[in-house]
Amino acid sequence: MGGPEKLARRKAAGLLNARERLARLCDPGTYVESGLFATSTSNPADRDTTPCDAKIAGFGKVNGRETAILSNDFTVMGASSGSTNGRKIAHLKRVATQRGLPMVFLGESSGARMPDHMGSRGMGSLLGNDATQYQRMRETPWTSATLGLCYGSSTWYSVMADFNVMRKGAVLAVSSSLLASLAVKEQVDPQEMGGWRLHAEITGFADQVVDSDEEAIDAIKIFLSYLPAHHREAPPVAAVPSGSGEAMGDILGLLPDSRTKVYDARNVIRTIVDRDSFFELKARFGKVGVTGLARLDGRTVGIIANNPQSKGGAMDSDACDKLTSFIVLCDSFNIPLVLFVDTPGFVIGTEAERRRAPGKIMNLMNALALTTVPKISVILRKSYGQAYLNMGGGRNSDEVAAWPTAEVSFMDPVFAVRVVDGLDPGAPGYEEALEGMDRASAVWDLASVYAAQSVIRPQQTRDYLIRMLEVHRLRLSNGVGQHLMRAWPTSY
Amino acid sequence: MATLEVKSEVTGSVWKIAARPGQVLAAGTTIMILESMKMEIPVILEDGGTLSALHVAEGESVTEGQIIATLTE
Repeated sequence: MGGPEKLARRKAAGLLNARERLARLCDPGTYVESGLFATSTSNPADRDTTPCDAKIAGFGKVNGRETAILSNDFTVMGASSGSTNGRKIAHLKRVATQRGLPMVFLGESSGARMPDHMGSRGMGSLLGNDATQYQRMRETPWTSATLGLCYGSSTWYSVMADFNVMRKGAVLAVSSSLLASLAVKEQVDPQEMGGWRLHAEITGFADQVVDSDEEAIDAIKIFLSYLPAHHREAPPVAAVPSGSGEAMGDILGLLPDSRTKVYDARNVIRTIVDRDSFFELKARFGKVGVTGLARLDGRTVGIIANNPQSKGGAMDSDACDKLTSFIVLCDSFNIPLVLFVDTPGFVIGTEAERRRAPGKIMNLMNALALTTVPKISVILRKSYGQAYLNMGGGRNSDEVAAWPTAEVSFMDPVFAVRVVDGLDPGAPGYEEALEGMDRASAVWDLASVYAAQSVIRPQQTRDYLIRMLEVHRLRLSNGVGQHLMRAWPTSY
Repeated sequence: MATLEVKSEVTGSVWKIAARPGQVLAAGTTIMILESMKMEIPVILEDGGTLSALHVAEGESVTEGQIIATLTE
């Protein structure tokens, strides 16, 4: 690494160094290095000062499973990208893809090494010679931790990863704030340009945000525990924690009595899934759509829900992107999907159109249509309009179940009475028309035409899902789906 | 001390205000309830802090993205 002084400064700042991060990640005694004696070769003078060429690469077991790991060593030339470490990354990725190992990128790098990349000779020699460098086919799960200043390759791998955890104080951006300041001729604040709030709330590039390096590495370990090592096997099965499902008897109490009041759908999810197994992704981004991994009877499931607490459950463009990327993740790695539905529809209006709502809605719709893992939809309360389809209504799920509290129609009765009957509140006949609309939206008509295969008591939901996921297990392919979206957008 | 802006997620109106400037509030606190799409939608703090200002009053209209409160961390 880059010498005792630099390492001491990091320690004083409460940061782990590249090798401490590896030690935190790997099971003791399992790490084997690849390229310990590699150095920068562009400039002979750098040979003695660039151990491992600034990027430490190797293989270690993470919770007992072989994993390919890249740990950027910022104390050596800012972990900048050079020709030798480029070959190390390529080797790791090749082994991971061919042998079926998850990848972990521990990101902290300053971008392309200068002056090596300068000039046409530098560009021609160092860049573009590996056509697979930024190819993503989701053969194995990729995870990333954004642990410091991340520009260039660390940023690229963070946004290409299936899971990116960001430490508060880190920066994820295309290039440094210094370069950005020079380009736009004004002072650019690094946190404003690429800090955790931006990526947790606006871009969605941070799947989770944590306070320390240690927590970031632990989050990667937890994420990987839900996933298979590669796309040709089913996810691992865990023991079922005691107490799982014990609050199911009280689940109806989580729903407010009035349909005009909202609730936090995550409380419903936590009640249904195995105890403490809900691992939420992108909690602050597109909040009206909830996504997260969880377990039911020890088996990994991908949970999607509308969250009425945000925007009343009306789906927006960010939520569509969030759900689409999550469906791609689950389908690519053989994780069944469970959808909890309570939405009055999509957000409509000028702003929604400016945010490209039609395209986002159809991306999500097509993702659901191309899904080949089992998907089960449970309608808790509202399911209206196109959103009914986007949340798995009709044949867009393998099974549709509804709680007796469900209401399904093309639009909310309150608006339907105005549009269909031309009646405003207070007009003669308004209340009767509204009552008729309410009655027609009840779940029983949906069940009578077999568009809902089951009407279940809310208290039965956990047992129902466990049984139905068992019924729909992919027996003919040993739990492996077709991965029709494996090359869908690398990032969203 | 960082200043955090709380923005409205929806277009609608302010139905009820549940906090006052100067209060120290924890993450997860509901500071007001908006009325939109015939529903009562709470404004819940993602981060805790001191409520330095409310920029809307009960009955006022709000638009999506409008800054409705300011918080000091």
